[in-house]
Amino acid sequence: MSLSSFIARLAGATALVGLSALSVQAQTSGEPVKIGAIVSATGAGAGLGVPERNGLLLAEKDINAKGGIKGRPIKFIVEDDASNPDTALSKANDLIFGQKVQALLGPSLTASTVAVGGVTHANKIPQIAFTGIGPAVERERKCVAHVLPPQRLNATALLEYAKSIKATKVGVLHDAGYGNVVMAELKPLADKYGVKLVAIEKFEIGATDTTTQAAKVKASQPDAVFIIATSATPFRNVKQIQITQPVIAAIGSSSYEYVNAMGPAADNIVIPEFVVGEDPLPHQKDFVELYKKTYNSTPKNYEAAAWDAAHIIAAALNKAGADATGEKLCEAMKAPYTGVLASYNFSADDMTGIPISSFIFSKLVGGKYTRTPFRVAQ
Amino acid sequence: MNPRTLLWLAIGLVVWAVLPFVVPRYMADLLVFTGIYTVAGLGIGLLLGHCGIVNLAQATFYGLGAYASAYCTVMMGLPSIVGFLVGAAISMVLAYVIGRPILRLTGYFLALGTLALSAIASALFFEWDWLTGGTLGIGGIPKLDLFGFLLDRPSRYYFFVWIVAFACMAVARNLVDSRTGLMLRAMRDSSTAAAALSIDLQALRTKVFVVCALFGSLAGSLFAHHASFVSTQSFTVDRSISFLLIPVIGGATSIPGIVVGALFVTFLPELLSKLGDIHQILFGLALVAVVVLMPEGLVGAFGKLRARLAKRGSGHG
Repeated sequence: MSLSSFIARLAGATALVGLSALSVQAQTSGEPVKIGAIVSATGAGAGLGVPERNGLLLAEKDINAKGGIKGRPIKFIVEDDASNPDTALSKANDLIFGQKVQALLGPSLTASTVAVGGVTHANKIPQIAFTGIGPAVERERKCVAHVLPPQRLNATALLEYAKSIKATKVGVLHDAGYGNVVMAELKPLADKYGVKLVAIEKFEIGATDTTTQAAKVKASQPDAVFIIATSATPFRNVKQIQITQPVIAAIGSSSYEYVNAMGPAADNIVIPEFVVGEDPLPHQKDFVELYKKTYNSTPKNYEAAAWDAAHIIAAALNKAGADATGEKLCEAMKAPYTGVLASYNFSADDMTGIPISSFIFSKLVGGKYTRTPFRVAQ
Repeated sequence: MNPRTLLWLAIGLVVWAVLPFVVPRYMADLLVFTGIYTVAGLGIGLLLGHCGIVNLAQATFYGLGAYASAYCTVMMGLPSIVGFLVGAAISMVLAYVIGRPILRLTGYFLALGTLALSAIASALFFEWDWLTGGTLGIGGIPKLDLFGFLLDRPSRYYFFVWIVAFACMAVARNLVDSRTGLMLRAMRDSSTAAAALSIDLQALRTKVFVVCALFGSLAGSLFAHHASFVSTQSFTVDRSISFLLIPVIGGATSIPGIVVGALFVTFLPELLSKLGDIHQILFGLALVAVVVLMPEGLVGAFGKLRARLAKRGSGHG
């Protein structure tokens, strides 16, 4: 082969590789479409904020690879609120008025979300928060949507599973923060499901020992135990005092961080949640594969929630125009959307519209998640 | 006042008045927080610098002020001023009732006593969700309306907050320069000698503690109307510690030092956050550096530097 023919072949091959790359990687050009994001990457909420940031940055790559927003690249400007609502407020002011973002994603925590919502609502900036709807004032904020279920839905999911295993007497172990909020919704719902709450034991956030409370729950001889907390401690204590009844836990303790901290206690626990990375549903497979390939770890709910929020805002921008903001973008955002985590409809009263049928019920067996066949019909 | 001081004062006033209009909105927002933290830090500065008392309970009074404003305006639909007054009244009564017994303690024991107060209050803010909204908090607190002028953005609220802060500074200055101030310093430097001069130490300490609580409560109410939302996360023991940092960093005996300290705790974390997740570690290192290298605070260090330069200048002359 002469040198010139070799070069010609090489050029041809390079062009082919380039073309095939183009077919997967659509070109984006022009001024980026700027979207602000606030997560709790440090502080008490880092367990939520770090996965959310991973989900967002992965979504940014994915959206841009698929053509961006009408050919323009999307850019998520991610800020850390250090789990502090005051900082979140300053960051929101910077993103909206300094960096002129068209919409805002996040924050990770309820307090920060409500604080930031005061600015986005007053200035008509669309917002998609990585929290469930919080205090009453959030219902008036018609352009602050949420990608995680309201606590009432989390409580309903726990009771649905209890009903399915015919548990009529339930003991509850919950913490004073997240647990309190879910409990407030759970109590009035329990009667409707024919469930009697035979013991309700509360413990401090960050408690390192909840054996006393767990013992009281055991003494009430329940058919099943609910654990509603953001901690591994109650799970360890429940196993230590040999509670053998089924344990059903709220989504708050579903992250791998907590599961690893549970050690051998991470066994025979059912959690109503959305994503089981080890055994994803068909519509979750692409996301899970891409996540595993990029980060070399298995995603769970918060990564998927941020991924969905990013894709919802991208879809809304593609519909309403790359420069859209304010009410126009807000209206576009309210179209029903089926995401990786759940199906959403932000026109719903709870600014989420997640149906109970979006829940899957996973089971921890020997520290590994498996997906149970149980689902709740809408 | 000599003409030079007057000139500096006039320049300072012009800079202060123009600042919120020339800086970006998020910086105006940080300046509002600086004003709020100055009010809260002033009380701590009075206790630390003039009585030698470490108060780790300021977040309690800050929280009381904030919740009083939130509850009165959102839940009861009362005018904003009622929230300010109710918060101040509750804080002062609580400071008196709790201050009387715990201010008998001294040194580390007293610091631990105030820390316990902060921890108890933080737990109660969580538990009494019928009053505080618990983890979900209370949202929708109205912005302040001053004679029909709505203080709905940082550049407007800035002026209100700083006028309150200057008023509090005037009160603090008055207290320090008065006979009470002399008694306070006598008590700080030698409590035995002060007692021998028939100064009622405990009554004096309680008085300053009550003033400190009043400032804390005012700051809390100001915060509630700025953020429009209050939740337990803003009133934890961590917040008490950051309030204590204000006089420690700025200089506990100096009133301008409190402003410098408040600027440090609001602006530095914000600037460092541009450096990524390591920002909290860097903030910690900056704190250690200030405390170790400048035990009298930034203002004290600046004063020393100026004195040294003046001495060198006169030496050469």
